[in-house]
Amino acid sequence: MRPANLILALLLAVALAAGIWLALSVQESSEEVPAEAVTSTATVLPSAMQLPQVSLVDQTGAAVDQSFFEGQWDVVFFGFATCPDVCPITLGVLTEAQRRLEQSGAGVLPRIVLVSVDPERDTPEVLTEYMQSFGENSVAVTGEIDQLRTLTSELGIFFEKRFIDEEFYTMDHSSVVLVIDPNGQVSALFSGPHRAENFVNDLKVLTRS
Amino acid sequence: MNHRIGAILLVVAATLVACSGETQPPLVADDVRISGPMPRMKAGYMTLTNNTDEAIRITRVSSPQFGRAEIHETFLEDDVARMRPVGVLTIPAGDAARLEPGGKHLMLMQPVDSPQTVTLNLYSDEMLLLSVLADIE
Repeated sequence: MRPANLILALLLAVALAAGIWLALSVQESSEEVPAEAVTSTATVLPSAMQLPQVSLVDQTGAAVDQSFFEGQWDVVFFGFATCPDVCPITLGVLTEAQRRLEQSGAGVLPRIVLVSVDPERDTPEVLTEYMQSFGENSVAVTGEIDQLRTLTSELGIFFEKRFIDEEFYTMDHSSVVLVIDPNGQVSALFSGPHRAENFVNDLKVLTRS
Repeated sequence: MNHRIGAILLVVAATLVACSGETQPPLVADDVRISGPMPRMKAGYMTLTNNTDEAIRITRVSSPQFGRAEIHETFLEDDVARMRPVGVLTIPAGDAARLEPGGKHLMLMQPVDSPQTVTLNLYSDEMLLLSVLADIE
């Protein structure tokens, strides 16, 4: 090989190695949360909000209180099981976000919690059946209306029964998703419409802090 | 799951056929989906295409597999999710209307037994325009 060709071959080899190193570096760093990362869609509360004292019931029928939300990160949605459209869509988005977080090797996989604002129809049996569609790391709670009012009014969550006709009613309800930290305090919220990628990005940031 | 489940045109109003003046069906349903986590309540989604030169009004929906079938609309208003019945679904001439998640959709309530396949009948007043067959996801 002539010297000129040898130099050219060496240069190409170096360029190839540099390219591979750069590609691997970018791939590696994409799984990490940059130190200066900020949330893109979640609203972070200036100071975390304590939950009020409430008496609720979980999907197994067991009595629980506000400490139900302590010990893990939760993403909490207020809805109802008879809702065939926006509620399963939102819970489906959260399930998809949970799956993507797991795939990306995220250290924290928040639990999905549905707070049913329709205790009249959403018995523990109904909620158990409903939540089967949203993975193992999802649960539901509900409670007497006065307890739900205590919880939601403190958090600025709206819900209201609306009769469509004499025999059928729907529930109007806030579409926000709350993020509750392991101390059982609300630290952030997401406004609708919801997208899985927003949760994936922002939950990595929120659970790291 | 094939989302382009064949929509079967059973009955078409003679007036619509006359208006269309073409061989293609006056009203076509595509991307038909029936979903929802609970057996007792399902949502129906589809794209309805009006191939005629006059608006088509869907005023009523029925299904032999459900005691109640209605057109509803979900919308967000000040971060509150609300759902209301839609009295009339209008499909403009030569245009399409989408029944989609988070928007207008069919509400299928009070199931008879546990249906796996659903027939959806779309009416304009008392005239049956289209009958669509779809599996529940």
